[in-house]
Amino acid sequence: MAQASSEQAAGAVTVLVSLPDGVDLHARPAADFVRSAMGFSAAIQVAANGREADAKSLLTVLALGAKGGTELRLTATGDDAGAALEALRDRVSTLA
Amino acid sequence: MVGIVVVSHSADLAAGLAALASQMAGPDVRIEPAGGLPDGTLGTDEDRVRAAIRAADQGSGVVILGDLGSAILTVRHVLERHGNGHVRLADAPIVEGAIAAAVTASASMTLDDVVRSAEEARGAGKL
Repeated sequence: MAQASSEQAAGAVTVLVSLPDGVDLHARPAADFVRSAMGFSAAIQVAANGREADAKSLLTVLALGAKGGTELRLTATGDDAGAALEALRDRVSTLA
Repeated sequence: MVGIVVVSHSADLAAGLAALASQMAGPDVRIEPAGGLPDGTLGTDEDRVRAAIRAADQGSGVVILGDLGSAILTVRHVLERHGNGHVRLADAPIVEGAIAAAVTASASMTLDDVVRSAEEARGAGKL
């Protein structure tokens, strides 16, 4: 589940969170994730499977092809980066 | 919330894409299909486009996705007469563009944001 590890690299904040088992980051779960990210002004990247996507871009998030159980690495930069990652970590862990 | 209009030569394609985008975006985004000709054949019809724009418009603007060729010309013709910047034609592939636009609209983003998200579909790989 949500496993936080904050880093300070050039002002960026990072957290790791795993997709719930059986919930792929496709279709509606991806839309829910992206919609949550769009609520923040911070620039947010999501990495999985060695690839990285703009968390506010549905099509690039879909192209990650992240399956249930995959660990996502969320990195944010900006004024509300911390709040954004907290919200996204909660969102990911409750995707269904 | 920004509305979406899907213009296709095929009524089935427009309706199916509107349904798919709506499932991704949720019930709050108005996604209106404008496909085919009134006699049931393939083609695009200005009156159907205008009606779809009116139905999609909640006051925050409308983004239109079209399929090919004369669909684009039909939309441009409608916008030449009624264009005020409030209704915009996105230069994007219709399926990916409509879905990206609908999800972006569902986050209460601006008209510019919704158009941009649709047009980003031009460069988005699937693999």
